[in-house]
Amino acid sequence: MGAPFDFAPERPDHIEQILNGLDRYNPETTAVFQDYVMQQCENQTYDCYANLALLKLYQFNPHLARDETITNILVKALTVFPSPDFSLGLALLPSHTLAPLSTSSHTPAAGDAPLSEAVQKLNILKNLLEGADYAAFWSTLDSDDLYADLVADVSGFEELMRVRIAATVSQSIREVERSILESWLDLNGKEFEHFVGTVCGWNVDGDKIKVPINKDNEAKGTVVRENVKFDQFSRVVRRAFEQPA
Amino acid sequence: MSDAEEEVMANEYREAAQYDGMDDLDRVPSMGSGGDIQAQLAAAATPLEFQATLETKFASYDNYCNLFHFILNSDGPVDIDVPNSSWAWDVVDEFIYQFNSFCGYRQKVAFKHENGEEIQLLRENPNTWGCYSVLNVLYSLIQRSQISEQLNAVKRGEDAKQYAGEYGSRPLYQMLGYFSVIGLLRVHCLLGDFSLALKTLDDIELNKKSMFPRVMAAQFTTYYYVGFSYMMMRRYADAIRMFSHILVYVSRTKNFQKNAQYDSITKKNDQMYALIMICVAFHPTRLDDTIHTALREKYGEQFNRLQRGGPENLPLFEELFRSACPKFINPTPPDFDNPEINIDPVEHYLGIFMDEVKNTMMSPTVKSYLKLYSTMDLKKLAGFLEVDPEKLRCWLLVNKQRNRQLRWSEGGLLEGDIVHSSDLDYAMEGDLIHVSEAKVGRKLVDWYLRNLARTY
Repeated sequence: MGAPFDFAPERPDHIEQILNGLDRYNPETTAVFQDYVMQQCENQTYDCYANLALLKLYQFNPHLARDETITNILVKALTVFPSPDFSLGLALLPSHTLAPLSTSSHTPAAGDAPLSEAVQKLNILKNLLEGADYAAFWSTLDSDDLYADLVADVSGFEELMRVRIAATVSQSIREVERSILESWLDLNGKEFEHFVGTVCGWNVDGDKIKVPINKDNEAKGTVVRENVKFDQFSRVVRRAFEQPA
Repeated sequence: MSDAEEEVMANEYREAAQYDGMDDLDRVPSMGSGGDIQAQLAAAATPLEFQATLETKFASYDNYCNLFHFILNSDGPVDIDVPNSSWAWDVVDEFIYQFNSFCGYRQKVAFKHENGEEIQLLRENPNTWGCYSVLNVLYSLIQRSQISEQLNAVKRGEDAKQYAGEYGSRPLYQMLGYFSVIGLLRVHCLLGDFSLALKTLDDIELNKKSMFPRVMAAQFTTYYYVGFSYMMMRRYADAIRMFSHILVYVSRTKNFQKNAQYDSITKKNDQMYALIMICVAFHPTRLDDTIHTALREKYGEQFNRLQRGGPENLPLFEELFRSACPKFINPTPPDFDNPEINIDPVEHYLGIFMDEVKNTMMSPTVKSYLKLYSTMDLKKLAGFLEVDPEKLRCWLLVNKQRNRQLRWSEGGLLEGDIVHSSDLDYAMEGDLIHVSEAKVGRKLVDWYLRNLARTY
């Protein structure tokens, strides 16, 4: 049984309480949630359901919204791709955040241009990640100083991304060329060997990397067998009683 | 769906329809309790005219506030005769509908920035139809009626009455409370909070008989919003299950219900066909025959096109999503000083949705080729598809990820297990793609039973 979407193993009791009661709508809890986001950034923990509750508070009380917290939540959501968390976060942001930037830049008074820009930049990263274009993800991340600012608060961001990428790779791949995997993980030389060998537990064999067989990259053919229920025979059994041979 | 299930469903419906006759809520309203309240009760369940002015909308909001205040904050439960049995549903439904259309209207006025008078009026009344008041009404009705406690008791197999309390034991409160849960599902979904929308339904067991099965519109609304929320959470198998269930139900009980209720759900019915078509494109599944036939009739060639994938279908996905999505709400007053940023929220959700479509649009094409082979060279396949081999490697990774999907099996709607949604599986060993298929074994039981029956 997988964990339900609203479950987070490290969630403190006071957050749990707010989430389960009407206090989740109370603007005064904004500060509590904001601290909790910061805590997740520092401790490398993650609680999507609580973060969405904060975005909802922002949605209802736009004057309380803090751009930095919003982008932190989105960056944290990147670290769990390809789950839908990032998109669910986007869904609670104001509708103009995804609109082409040219419209809002005409009127600096709109004030939200920086947020829109940041959100759209992060959305580019999300699309690259979900499109499994990992090499492009790293080069894009590297291409603009704004990205460095955006991910700065999330401790171990790059490491978290590598682990996540490795996880998706191990689901589909048994063996891959070293140069390709290097570009996917944005690592070379000793660092690469350490990550692949020690963190992932994969084998480096010349210029090939071998991923041990697991149940996802095994791709074994199966035969679905018929599921027979006793009920299907009820008629036969009943008739056997009704008309003794 | 098996015949047995279908029979149960039809029986439930007949039972529900007959029950209408004995319903004590169907009494003609007694004039004794005052004409004023009766007029208010009737008004609360009546749609506003399409051309209603802003003043009318404000007045309607006040009317709801007064009515709910009276119901919730009087000295003890109020004793009123409601006009008829579906009144409670109509009130909650109309209340949310008016909230929805008011927010949409306000957004449009701000975006167009033409009608100075209306802008002024809206600026001066930022709290009318506010999201906090609407949620407050729904949550209060839920708490007063102790409907969560009642539903949980039913779940445990106990008598709901024991937990209903002074308010919840009265049909008026019980119904308002129950329909408010569904109303809340709808409001959360309209605000783009899809996970909370599903969480709201924790107390209601969708696979069991509904507390108010005869209010068809309520069931319909529930399945539409649950299905839609699942779709936005990318749980396509669950979304398909929801849409199929209710669409089959409607098509099989069509003949029993020839009333206004049925007419009002026709539009939602069409929307759900569009949504189920989208979900099947993401997650190819064998549909119930009734639905499959209906989809072919309605959409013909488009149905096949969507399942083939590819960029040429993007406009079709857009069109379907626009026609079938709920009218999303921006819950706070728009920015009247910057008209152009007050974009219709539907565009926002469309953007989010289309990103996902674009991301997965090549999956059907890739799969259709892989089906033909047991091993395949990546570069060769890239040649067939006229695409860069590294791009194809990405597509293969994406498709594999998307094959893993959460699917509900028991418990709350947010629960589920990861399952492989496709019968096609593969793994890459360098440039070599190993393909495997889940085959369906021979079905012997039917044959055995048929022959047994013959020998008796």
